[in-house]
Amino acid sequence: MSNLLVDVSALWVRFGLVDAVRGISLGVAAGEATALLGRNGAGKSTTMRVLAGVVPATEGAVEVAGHDVRTQTLAVKRATGYCPDVGGLVPRATPWEHLQLAARLRRMPDGWEARAQDLLERFELGAAAHRVTAGFSHGMGRRMSVVLAAFHEPAVLLLDEPFDGVDPLGVEATMDVIADARARGAAVLVSTHLRELAVQACEHAVVLRGGSAVAELAAYEMRGEEGAGVYRALLD
Amino acid sequence: MSTALSSTETPGTWRRRGNDLVRAVADVGPLVAFRASAVRGRGRVVATTALALIVALSVFFAWLPAHLPGAGGAPGGIPQLRADEAILLMPTMYLAVLVVATISAAASGGGRELLSREQGVAFPVSPTTDHFGALLMAPLNIAWLLQCWTVLAATAFVLGPDNLLAVQAAVLVWLLLATTFAQAIAWSIELLRRRRHGIWVVRGLVAALVGLMGWLIVSDRLVEVLDQSPTLQVLLAAVNASDGRWWPWLGRVLLLLLTAVAAVVVGALLAHDLARTPVRDELKVESATYSRRANPATHAAALLRIDRAGVWRAVPLRRGFAVLALLPGLVALASALEWYMLNILPGLVASGGALLFGVNAWCLDGRGTLWRESLPVGPRLVFAVRVVVLVEVLLAATAIALVLASLRAGVPTTAQVVAVLCSSVVVTLQVVSGSMRWSVRRPFAVDLRSARATPAPPLTMVGYSTRFALVTTFTAMLFVSTSRAESWQWSVLLAAPFLLVSLLRLMRTADAWESHEVRSRVVTAVAG
Repeated sequence: MSNLLVDVSALWVRFGLVDAVRGISLGVAAGEATALLGRNGAGKSTTMRVLAGVVPATEGAVEVAGHDVRTQTLAVKRATGYCPDVGGLVPRATPWEHLQLAARLRRMPDGWEARAQDLLERFELGAAAHRVTAGFSHGMGRRMSVVLAAFHEPAVLLLDEPFDGVDPLGVEATMDVIADARARGAAVLVSTHLRELAVQACEHAVVLRGGSAVAELAAYEMRGEEGAGVYRALLD
Repeated sequence: MSTALSSTETPGTWRRRGNDLVRAVADVGPLVAFRASAVRGRGRVVATTALALIVALSVFFAWLPAHLPGAGGAPGGIPQLRADEAILLMPTMYLAVLVVATISAAASGGGRELLSREQGVAFPVSPTTDHFGALLMAPLNIAWLLQCWTVLAATAFVLGPDNLLAVQAAVLVWLLLATTFAQAIAWSIELLRRRRHGIWVVRGLVAALVGLMGWLIVSDRLVEVLDQSPTLQVLLAAVNASDGRWWPWLGRVLLLLLTAVAAVVVGALLAHDLARTPVRDELKVESATYSRRANPATHAAALLRIDRAGVWRAVPLRRGFAVLALLPGLVALASALEWYMLNILPGLVASGGALLFGVNAWCLDGRGTLWRESLPVGPRLVFAVRVVVLVEVLLAATAIALVLASLRAGVPTTAQVVAVLCSSVVVTLQVVSGSMRWSVRRPFAVDLRSARATPAPPLTMVGYSTRFALVTTFTAMLFVSTSRAESWQWSVLLAAPFLLVSLLRLMRTADAWESHEVRSRVVTAVAG
């Protein structure tokens, strides 16, 4: 029996006349991390949105933590933690209010506050916990989005551009979150443009181009100068 | 080496300023084209039709009343509407245009933007261009349009068809002056607000103005003061034209025109000053610490808390709410409206309130909408909570306006009270059902951070406000009738079908919102 927590088969997503995703298939097993790489418009964020239950698939089969995204969307949302590529924060709510909302809707047991506080401190957001997020810098917003995705310890962690504009300490904290998730048996999918960080965080990589998966390889194959050449060749 | 300006540099400075001005004016064109380019397909047809309709209606209102029976003192017409009596009100009506334009521009932090701050950050847009943009956008406001149509129509009626073109030219020049002057006042108020303790100074000034108005009303001196209004010159210019006395007409029109030009220049200078001052309101909200509250006990309470924060911590919504709650009530108080006329107020307030954010209700979540959609909660609950928040905002503003208005309305009958209550609930639900329908059908990515932000593009806002105005005014007039009835039950009977229709519409929109495809379209549009 497969232990895939993310199982995507022939996924198509169409917006009007545009095919944003064209027949992508991929799988991420428990305790594994996979990087989604590709140029702008390659279909990375759309794929993440489908997996998070935010955007419906036009065609194909998508299962997340054993739930069909099409028919069991709420169960999928319970099983996932999603850091969207843009924003991801309600502008006039504080980080703590975001956490309270998520804790309530995810029916987290009493005592979630300690973990939330710990994550805020690890991402150096403790001092800003009660300020509205509209005043946050881009990097602070990204870090907070990672906190929100990870704090309920989801079975599937979906991080879309989590390193974008984030300082080295924030990158380190995100790497820790990914490592923690893998250690407890979660599947992690990271979408990013930053190849070296993807290689560092994940063991597999899927390269997308024009909405299709053009390569699936071990992350170490994309390491260093040689890996950069391999990646560059896959983008054209 | 001396760094002092030499005498030879002065002309260069003036030339540079002149060049800057020319460039700033020239930049308005590309910005308008940029905004217009965002309107495509059917939207472009609708926008062109709407603009043509506005021009056609303006011509219609400026021309038709001059040819009605009784116009210009001609025989006929209805006895209650006499041109020779209405002419006495004209200076006050002209003044009202200035007041409404000033309130619109000041309440929105300096009027509408041709390009939002977020979009404009990458472009070298001069404050002068922003000033011209705000002037250009001022007419795209139903309150401004209604005032203009009213004065054009009233002037045509009181002076009749003689030399109507020249008569209305004087009025149009006044509309230009009122708009430019209002814009300059709005920049001044915004500049004052951004100074240290400026918000309190402005509130104090508004309170003093309200107090002065109250004193003038109580001491029965309001009419005396209004008779001294400088807008008498506008009427005299129009009368000069009507009588064919061209030199006095030309003198007055030129004076109005020169004052308008001066107001444009002063406004541009103030806009430059404003661009150099920090946005105190927004910074205060964004840097404030909000105390940690107990964890919400239910899903609905958690959603309500976030949605309410989205409303009450947004600068444009707070300002808009204050204006909507206080202004209609104070005007009604000043005019000592009778109870049956109070039925008009709820529609006015509810429409205005929905135009603050309700017509694009999902924009409260801004870019957080993607994250919110990833949370495990039923879409119907999310929809219901958003409806509750919109309803409570509108009803709160309506209640304040009605309480103020009722202070001088006398002792009501039961039928009058019930009519006002029914009218409030009915128009609120009408507006809410319309708002939620449009929110799902036409979502926009909007950042409600700035006081100048609106939930939808300007022309769309004109369309929304017009539809609200028509529906709620019609409904209110029906409740004006039932408030005159002896039995209060008539109002309840009248309210029932309206409520049913609004609830059915809300349920239909909730059904649409439940569709994953529809929701994802809204969410991705709002997230930008």
